[in-house]
Amino acid sequence: MTRVKMLMGLAALAGAVGLWFALTAPRDALQGEYSRLLGIHPPAMWVAFIAFGVTALGSIMWLVRKAERWDRLAAASVEVGVIFTAIGLFTGMVWGQAVWGTPWDWQDPRLMSTAVMFFVYLGYIALRNAIDDPTIRARRSAILGTIAVVQVPLVYFSVNLFRTLHQTQSIRPDGSTMPDGMLIAMLVNMGALMVVYLALMVARLDLAKAEAAATPESAIAGEAVRPPRLNEVEDV
Amino acid sequence: MSETVVVAVTYLISYALILGYAVYLHVRRRRTER
Repeated sequence: MTRVKMLMGLAALAGAVGLWFALTAPRDALQGEYSRLLGIHPPAMWVAFIAFGVTALGSIMWLVRKAERWDRLAAASVEVGVIFTAIGLFTGMVWGQAVWGTPWDWQDPRLMSTAVMFFVYLGYIALRNAIDDPTIRARRSAILGTIAVVQVPLVYFSVNLFRTLHQTQSIRPDGSTMPDGMLIAMLVNMGALMVVYLALMVARLDLAKAEAAATPESAIAGEAVRPPRLNEVEDV
Repeated sequence: MSETVVVAVTYLISYALILGYAVYLHVRRRRTER
């Protein structure tokens, strides 16, 4: 069994354990079943924050070392981070509809900053797809990946800095505002989604390596100076 | 729709998104091998 398959199996198991904890956690007296979204909404956003942090690390390391593996790490982490941000936004909208009576508020700083972060990292992916030369692509992505990470603390602290519908952090330096059962379910799911993140990262990095090996000429000089292949020459 | 159904469908869609991405990576990896 390959490393990727083993990690995917482990991720499925971790996800199942997390789901069990989430669905058996004590319910909130006011929110009822909706409080079970604690098992997916906050953990998904935390994993997204970590993913974008890893992207910043990979970006900075590429700018310092210029090694291809750092560029691959940064790019892989953005894709996975975007998936988790999409889950965070979606589950938040469902929760918002239930608790606030609206899935979205255009004037809410937490919601809007998260949406902007989501679209900036989608832009990062679009930027990578728009550049053929691997060195130019890596440099421009690394600059964006390093700058874009400032959004992570902005999103996280937006509930403290601005007036927002969203509640403030449940886990604070002086303790948690939740009952133990809910807190444990949330932390177990945080761990489970971290395992899922690691499995997806290993699979994405494995794919990136395989794709780079399949196109060695573009990895060295870029598409712009790639010699024409025989089937591309129309008139000889 | 009952609360339980909404929560269940929300979890289902979330995990389906992750699974979909994993399948997409798998299919792209297979294509690269060919």
